[in-house]
Amino acid sequence: MTETTTIYDSAAPHRGLVDPFKNTWEKRHLIGLLVARDLTLRYKRSVLGVWWTLLNPLLTTLVFWFVFSTIFTRQGDSDAPFVVYLLSGILLIQTFFSQGAVACGSSLIAGRSVLSKIRVPGEVFAVTASLAAAVNFAIGLAILLVLQLATGWGVPWTVLLVPIPTIAMLMFVTGFGMLIASAAIHFYDVLDFVRVLLMLLVWMVPTFYPVDIVPEKWRIFIEINPLYSYLEVFRGFMYEGTFAPAWNFIYMTGSALLMLLVGVWVFSRSWRQAAVRM
Amino acid sequence: MSQPAITVDKVSLAYRVAKDRAGTMKEFAINLLKRQVQYEPLWALDNVSFDVPKGEVFAVVGPNGAGKSTLLKVLAGVLPPTSGRVVVRGLVSPLIELGGGMNHEMTGRENIVLFGTLLGRPPDVMRQRVDAIAEWAELTEFLDHPLRGYSTGMSSRLAFAIATDVKPEILLVDEVLSVGDEKFRRKSTQRITELMDGGTTVILVSHNLPTVRRMAERVMWLDRGRIKAIGDAEEIVDAYEASV
Repeated sequence: MTETTTIYDSAAPHRGLVDPFKNTWEKRHLIGLLVARDLTLRYKRSVLGVWWTLLNPLLTTLVFWFVFSTIFTRQGDSDAPFVVYLLSGILLIQTFFSQGAVACGSSLIAGRSVLSKIRVPGEVFAVTASLAAAVNFAIGLAILLVLQLATGWGVPWTVLLVPIPTIAMLMFVTGFGMLIASAAIHFYDVLDFVRVLLMLLVWMVPTFYPVDIVPEKWRIFIEINPLYSYLEVFRGFMYEGTFAPAWNFIYMTGSALLMLLVGVWVFSRSWRQAAVRM
Repeated sequence: MSQPAITVDKVSLAYRVAKDRAGTMKEFAINLLKRQVQYEPLWALDNVSFDVPKGEVFAVVGPNGAGKSTLLKVLAGVLPPTSGRVVVRGLVSPLIELGGGMNHEMTGRENIVLFGTLLGRPPDVMRQRVDAIAEWAELTEFLDHPLRGYSTGMSSRLAFAIATDVKPEILLVDEVLSVGDEKFRRKSTQRITELMDGGTTVILVSHNLPTVRRMAERVMWLDRGRIKAIGDAEEIVDAYEASV
């Protein structure tokens, strides 16, 4: 008899900060299939296809561009076209962070039909959701690049460094989403609460509005929000061609690592309970 | 010789049922203020121990609510035991609630690859097996249609074909042999028999006592989460039949 390939031992010790990463790596092919499924299913049967991904951020951009440049006649806090400022913020904060966190937070509930029958690590579903949000973000970046060229602003070389804030945001979203998912196992109205919280968080950073409309004495409340550092670093690389201040980099990296580790740790101790509780 | 395929050691499993059904944070907060948050454990399995040697066909019988399906989910690694320990040695194919885990918007072909990968097989292997699986399930002409157009019987057939395509070392069967038409029943029973002959360990949960008699070597009788009797198939099924 050959040795068995798979052993399931319910008493095997959980290594809360090792197993999730190991599971994710071992299941990378499955995650790849699930991300592809996520993206194709959403757009497969619609006429506009993949353009739906972009329609939401584009329309939002249009609305805010109209509001701020026509009604308030404000043009953002740099020389870059306001529409570039807006779309970059909306893609990072709304498409990537906010939608990714909600998708990741509801991933255990959405994957319930599989989780209650087949032994699949819960991390697979959470990581799938945040990766899908990252892909949506990346597709949006292509439009942003076109917009930068079309408005004559151009594309700086620092665009090559955009993967740095992208990876940091992926870590942050995954960790944050895992915390939400862990809580959502116990109370199903967590997601409603989170949607309100996310709206608050999104409005607390200059996604839609030029930062200079905020009085100097209130800026601190924007700057303590970690999302602000992601925005600064990302916008700097994407179109300004500048490096954000060092504290933004430190805050971004630190919050990404901390959020991921805390999220993974909490998630790894709670996702198994999903099957018992549901 | 070798270790048993399955070791179940003093396993208990409680579903946590909140007494006041605090399903929302709002209700929970209110109950917390009233100091009323209490959980009533619902013991679906109570101190269950048994071993299944490699290659054995082991059946579980008992009335509804005895914990049979819960036990299969514990063996599948889906439900963590509240106490005790389960060790399962080998690649498991769970035939539990067939068709669950499949996606209705995706085509039969896509589902074969995804479902097989969920069961732990490499996607490349599944891609090569697509045609053979569809042929066995007699769904070749519907392979590129989305699953939402399939009947319940068709998707069960597909799920069964995927789960039993690559020889599993351990097969968990929950009432699968009672779905589908007569032809599929015969065909699936035959495939399980082939797997059994090939050395696959089978755990069978069924209310169909003639099937249990015919297929099982040993039987466990569960009643309200406890083992009532365990042993030779004929003997236990006779005793169980006499009790109902």
